Amino acid sequence: MTALDDAPGTPLADAPLVDAAQIRAAMDHYTRQGLSDGLPVVPVTEEYLQEFLAVTTRDPDEVLLTMAHLNRQLTVRLAAVNAALAGCRPDFFPVVLAAWDALATEPYPVRGIWQSTTGTAPFLIVNGPVRDRIGLNSRGNVFGSGFPANATIGRAIRLAAINVFGLQPHQLDQATQATPAKYTACIAANEEDSPWEPLHVERGLAAGDSTVTATVIRSVVHVEARHTHSPEQLARDVVDTITRTGALLHEYTSAFVVLGPEHARVFADAGWSKEDTRRFLLTHAVRPRAELAAVGKDAISRHTRWRLPADHPDAVPDQAGRGTDPDLVPVLGSPGSVQVVVAGADNAGVSAVVEVFGHPREWPASIARVEAPPIGG
Amino acid sequence: MTATATLAPLVDPTGRRNKAADSTLAPRPTSLRGLTVGLLDNTKPNATALLTAIAGELRQRYDVAEPRSYVKDYFGTPAEPELIERIVRECDVVITAIGDCGSCSAATVADGVLFERAGLPAVSICSDSFLMSARAMAGLEGFPGFEFIAVQHPVASLDGEQIAQRARGAMPEVLRILGVEA
Repeated sequence: MTALDDAPGTPLADAPLVDAAQIRAAMDHYTRQGLSDGLPVVPVTEEYLQEFLAVTTRDPDEVLLTMAHLNRQLTVRLAAVNAALAGCRPDFFPVVLAAWDALATEPYPVRGIWQSTTGTAPFLIVNGPVRDRIGLNSRGNVFGSGFPANATIGRAIRLAAINVFGLQPHQLDQATQATPAKYTACIAANEEDSPWEPLHVERGLAAGDSTVTATVIRSVVHVEARHTHSPEQLARDVVDTITRTGALLHEYTSAFVVLGPEHARVFADAGWSKEDTRRFLLTHAVRPRAELAAVGKDAISRHTRWRLPADHPDAVPDQAGRGTDPDLVPVLGSPGSVQVVVAGADNAGVSAVVEVFGHPREWPASIARVEAPPIGG
Repeated sequence: MTATATLAPLVDPTGRRNKAADSTLAPRPTSLRGLTVGLLDNTKPNATALLTAIAGELRQRYDVAEPRSYVKDYFGTPAEPELIERIVRECDVVITAIGDCGSCSAATVADGVLFERAGLPAVSICSDSFLMSARAMAGLEGFPGFEFIAVQHPVASLDGEQIAQRARGAMPEVLRILGVEA
């Protein structure tokens, strides 16, 4: 008989009473108007919006990002409406603002990449004390579901892209397939289980600062390597994923390697610093030209600089093809094209390669500081 | 405990600010004879080939002057104002191609609208896979009914003869948009 005590259909203890029809009516309204990512959104009134605007010193009318070609501007107020809609708590909002600050300095969003067939998504890495303050997950299931801050901060970006910039799928957003990261892609770094200094400290910020690092990504690819304690073997396994030809739209690719703590220790225990690890990946991320020729990507277009076969009328040699060792083609174009972050549970030899969209840059992302909470707050 | 419902309106989450409706077209020529046709190439594969083929048809069949070619810096966003101004100054009509991707379909239509508003009759050419983004951009620009050509997708992978076919197939639409009789 005890099983009946928690039988399905009985009222949930301690839950508030609701007018379910009214909640549904509000959620349905947003969906019908195309103001969502397909999932139900949280109804936002002016009173609720004010709770978000109260956690920042910034002017609600401050412009965070302008898409001149779409004639649209994202203000602090609109970022707050969409954060609330996404299900953020008001105390998540400073992280959303920092995410927009970082994304605003990224080269591709203002150049129409979120309309592109390639189907990219923003990707956010959070460092520093704010992770614990708002419950951001940095451990098990770090790319998965289950954590309100991770789930809703990434979603706040997507909803603003749809609602503020008008990037509706099948209309201005013409992604051929896109990526599941479009719903949300926000991880916290696992600084506590990392043998190395965290990303924001590497970038010259204080350990006590909280930051959001943002970039534009195409895929998150698994690396399973539970078999080895050799840093060289592990690094080459990661390299194989970085250098896959499918990632090569442009001449080069770029990547954030998100190492599980166990993998990070394989390198650290062998005496490799993060910089050593990065250098090894960079140096070895090379494909024999014959392998690129086999998939028809052994040259680049004189117009778009995209990879294509050497016998194509638009083909010109890639950079390696004009150098001293034309048969070995580096796929990472700049010393900064591969970065290393530690995140995930300390329970298995699993990592991921996050493929960053675009041409080589000194650093393949932008970083912004999260506004500190008010004193005594 | 009694709960009092506090009803309040929902806040608009959009950045909706389409440009004010303005669907005036540039004045149309009565004939193409002797006119200078501008060809705006957005650098997408086969854009040059398609524009050259259309210009060839216009020269052969309608006796236009030697066309002038221009290249955009970047296909994903509308042409820079300086380039628009230059083309308006130097040409009598303009043809721009090829909107065969997410961002460049929208940008190709935006360019067409900008040319028309600057007084230059414009033919924007997209591929038909991108009708929706091209139309959405026309709406954003305050010109929801803007007419452009949607050639059959794909364009990028075609050879010379196939491009020539696409160009010939597009001719009736080119003439209709430019407002001249075939």
